[in-house]
Amino acid sequence: MRLTRARGCLLGLAAGDALGRPAENLAPEEIARRWGRLTEIEPGQGGTDDTEYTIFAASLLCAHGAAMTSADVARAYREQIIPRIDGPMRGAGFSELGAVQALRRGLEPPLSGMWHQHGWSDGLAMRAAPYGIFAAGDPGEAARLVAVDGAVSNSGEGVYGGQAVAAAVAVAMTGAAPGEVAEAGIAAIPVDSWTARNLRAAVAADSVDELYRAVVVRHYPWTDLAPEAVALAFAGYLMGGGRVEESVVSAANLGRDADTTAAIAGALAGAGHGEAAVPERWVREIGPVTGRCLPAVAGRHVLDVATDLVAATGTTT
Amino acid sequence: MSSGDRIRGAFVGLAIGDAAGWPSARHRSALLAPWSRRLERELDGFAEEHRVTTLPVPFTLNQPTGPLATGPSDDAEWLAWTALTIRDDRAEAFGRLAGRTDLRVRISVRAALDNLAAGKRPPASGHDNPHHFDDAAAVRAVAFGAIGADPRADATVTNAGDGVLAAMAMAAAVAELVAGGSMASAVQAALAELPGDTAIGHAARTALAVARAAGDPFSAVPGLDAALVDHVYSYGVAAAQTVPVALALAEVSGGALTAAVPAAACLPSLADSAPALTGALTGAFTGAAALPAPWRSAARTLPGCALPDLAGTDLIDIAEGLT
Repeated sequence: MRLTRARGCLLGLAAGDALGRPAENLAPEEIARRWGRLTEIEPGQGGTDDTEYTIFAASLLCAHGAAMTSADVARAYREQIIPRIDGPMRGAGFSELGAVQALRRGLEPPLSGMWHQHGWSDGLAMRAAPYGIFAAGDPGEAARLVAVDGAVSNSGEGVYGGQAVAAAVAVAMTGAAPGEVAEAGIAAIPVDSWTARNLRAAVAADSVDELYRAVVVRHYPWTDLAPEAVALAFAGYLMGGGRVEESVVSAANLGRDADTTAAIAGALAGAGHGEAAVPERWVREIGPVTGRCLPAVAGRHVLDVATDLVAATGTTT
Repeated sequence: MSSGDRIRGAFVGLAIGDAAGWPSARHRSALLAPWSRRLERELDGFAEEHRVTTLPVPFTLNQPTGPLATGPSDDAEWLAWTALTIRDDRAEAFGRLAGRTDLRVRISVRAALDNLAAGKRPPASGHDNPHHFDDAAAVRAVAFGAIGADPRADATVTNAGDGVLAAMAMAAAVAELVAGGSMASAVQAALAELPGDTAIGHAARTALAVARAAGDPFSAVPGLDAALVDHVYSYGVAAAQTVPVALALAEVSGGALTAAVPAAACLPSLADSAPALTGALTGAFTGAAALPAPWRSAARTLPGCALPDLAGTDLIDIAEGLT
């Protein structure tokens, strides 16, 4: 079961990333105007940074396991990411480029995650799923491990967003009901945090309007705030009843940082229902990643990554 | 020199710095008709489309030209508002602004006003905020420093983390200067509020080292830009950048506004508020009477571009209300 859940988790993430991609930074009204309801992956387009950074995070876990330190992660940025940035850095979020600049200055974690102004970015949340796979059934350990990674690129609410996702995936990997999965995410972060307040509001919201009023920052032009994106992702997952297709579609059609929110919803739902629950028409669109965002991971397929990750945990039953 | 003159110096010094940065004319053009600003945005598109390097500047086709004269803008007005409401409960003072549609505010303040309207109280109003790290509270903290008061209750309405630390540092430095302290002791008082393991604490110490190595404010400009500004993000009002620049330029200038403020205005990304914060520190050091008379007179009258109620108000009168 663990293997199919792990493969379902990363396949769901990749499918959500690819489905949400054209809806990124759009409002639900604009998505409805363009697509009615967005349910199909644009053929041949694949995913974005969400999938590629997730593969990168999984490779860190495979290399270092539970003993991984923030210094290991910073070294991986310096060895695998920074030397291969040749000209424009494609598809990275504010927190990743901010962290790269901080590391280039010689700063070390956690200061590298605090130096730039985007510590709250959802860049950690988007790549948090592997930590939940690795620590399946142990949300506390998943939250601890993802924060080790997050200290390089994020701070504060950006780390909490990653912790909520990793802990929720760890519990989804046990087949728990969606409500229990969401609660596990909330339980992993401080009660007195923006992310926890937004997640509670997302769980309680009865309508998209109410959800938007509670978690979307109206007077801010960027959509990659972790407290907002993780709340929209959890809301999409709950609106979809934790089923893969419905969760991913619900999250993508909520707009804002739609590739990331749909990827997170897909990771949660895929972990809950396994590889076979991801719609076949979506699976056909998920091939090996091109490395367009992260050249270091070019050629890797999320299904192989999931298998490696389960092998790295040492318990493949 | 009296402490009253130093308080007036902090206020008018901030206004001079506010007026010196290029964004001031952008803010002041809020007083022109909306179509006038729309034309300017279209000219930006024209420059892009036609590949011309002749960049548009704020202009007043068929509009009064007064708003575009050299003068202060948002930061001076928010300092004035803070001084006028300084005895009020801070959440209440901001709460009175929450329903207003005619104000112009920083993103941190906009998000905080929305939070207050939704029933969120401080410190969540400043913490659940995409720009919790900006320098809105640091600007307001000049008023608290002037009377030797703690800016925390004010700062936490709109900011958190580095945004609040910045306010503590600015208030500490201004309080030290108003009490007659040296610029070196004011900088030490500010650093005491900025732990080294925070971004702003690290940046402040880095900025001071860069400026000391350069030896004078103008020479320090390229080094400060290289050391502090990452050019990744779309806005330049992060307290962890502007307050360190202000402290470093104020110190290396020996407290001379006429050397420190122009240097701060030469950092284009930070020119909205770093010159104002630099002006507040240097003005508090020298007192208002020592500041250049042409700038003092150009900067003292508020235009009402951010807080319309303050149009025509004399900032020095407001500073005197605190003494």
